[in-house]
Amino acid sequence: MIELIDDSLVFSFPEVHPSATVSIDFQRTLRIPDDDKHYPLPPGLGCFPLRHVDDFAARVPSAWIEHGGVMLPMYQSEAMWINFHAAYDAERYTAYPFAIKIATGKINVVSGRAWSAGLHRRPQQDYVVVPDQPWLDGYGVAKGVIRQFVAMPLGAGYTAEEQISGKAEHGGLQIMAIPMQRAVFEKRFPKQPRSNRLFARSYVLCEADRGMGFAPGGRMKQEIYRDKYALSDWDLEHSSRCFVHIANSMLWRQITGSHPPTTPPTAEEYTRARLPWFLWYDDQNTAIDGSEVLAGMKSVATLGKEKAETPLPENQSVAPEHIVALRRGLSADQVREFKD
Amino acid sequence: MSETFGAYLRKRREELLKQSPDYTVRKLAAKIGIQPSYVSKVERGEVPPPSEATIVRLAEALHEDSDVLLALAGKVSADLRQVILKRPKLFAELIRQLKDAPDHALLRVVREVRDGTW
Repeated sequence: MIELIDDSLVFSFPEVHPSATVSIDFQRTLRIPDDDKHYPLPPGLGCFPLRHVDDFAARVPSAWIEHGGVMLPMYQSEAMWINFHAAYDAERYTAYPFAIKIATGKINVVSGRAWSAGLHRRPQQDYVVVPDQPWLDGYGVAKGVIRQFVAMPLGAGYTAEEQISGKAEHGGLQIMAIPMQRAVFEKRFPKQPRSNRLFARSYVLCEADRGMGFAPGGRMKQEIYRDKYALSDWDLEHSSRCFVHIANSMLWRQITGSHPPTTPPTAEEYTRARLPWFLWYDDQNTAIDGSEVLAGMKSVATLGKEKAETPLPENQSVAPEHIVALRRGLSADQVREFKD
Repeated sequence: MSETFGAYLRKRREELLKQSPDYTVRKLAAKIGIQPSYVSKVERGEVPPPSEATIVRLAEALHEDSDVLLALAGKVSADLRQVILKRPKLFAELIRQLKDAPDHALLRVVREVRDGTW
């Protein structure tokens, strides 16, 4: 089942295992410049608010009611990253593993293929594995490189959905969570005797009514990790999925009567203030190659140039100087969020 | 019902009076802005329970839960009434179904995110 708790989607599978819970939230962030450079990871500026579409049934587009799920507000050309947090099993000294499949406009963000049931590894892995993957900031376009998720209106031709499928039908974000099979989990991660247990913490760091879709923005250094488990380890009989609709700020106000969060700072303002950017190192996992389909997409700035439009205001290149390196397992308290 | 409400009120006030002289009929009445004779009549069940607003003030003065006192008076708070009246059939059904559920089950009524067709 999926619950909406404190602006997070909490997927839990008590019928599989008491620890089989993963929560997913959507972090506000600055949009990295869409130029030829590769940028480090931008900060998390707090969660986007999430609401049940059913609570605003009279005011949301009818397709949203049909899709079910939740909605969040974004400004045009605002960026976002997805934060994963799997529940920690204190007896087994690990977080419960999940395969998470993500699509925007029903185009898979890892493989570039159309949304389909199940999990695939050929020709391209089409999911991420949590907790190995702590977050995802965009489309996997090359090994160790993603293109940032940038919100664009559906119908303007920029979204991944329109570039790949040629249609502007779905928009939004689609997520499916599949837990590891109970027997596999218990075998792979046996209970550890109390005397041998070291104290450790999970390395969780810590047209208006068409809605919006996501388009590929600037390039960022981020690896999507290869699934180190067997494909049969995943419990496909117990998956849950959710449609996340994206409302632009005007539509959000019309639907909810409340204001969306303020616009985030630009990359230039953020960098000038010498606030930190981040790099994440994980030497225990291997990165997969990028998807050729996704690599073939044009970024918002490139497409804008071809159309003689300026879809991304304030797209100047920046040179981040203050970069914080985070290494898996180095410190339990490392977080990617900005702190004074 | 009014007798039960009055008796409960009196019992609670007298308990508090043992600890503090602020809980005489007169002082309690002054605190919540009603006549002492009216408090006495309510306690004896000679008049129906007071209005919702007065019951809420009484609950506050006697350190009681206003929903509990309202229920003793046979009333439901206005905000709850609004919630029920918005979807009367659904809530009536829900409350009837939950009437025998144990407290621990009632404390965990989960709302799932609905999945549709896409």
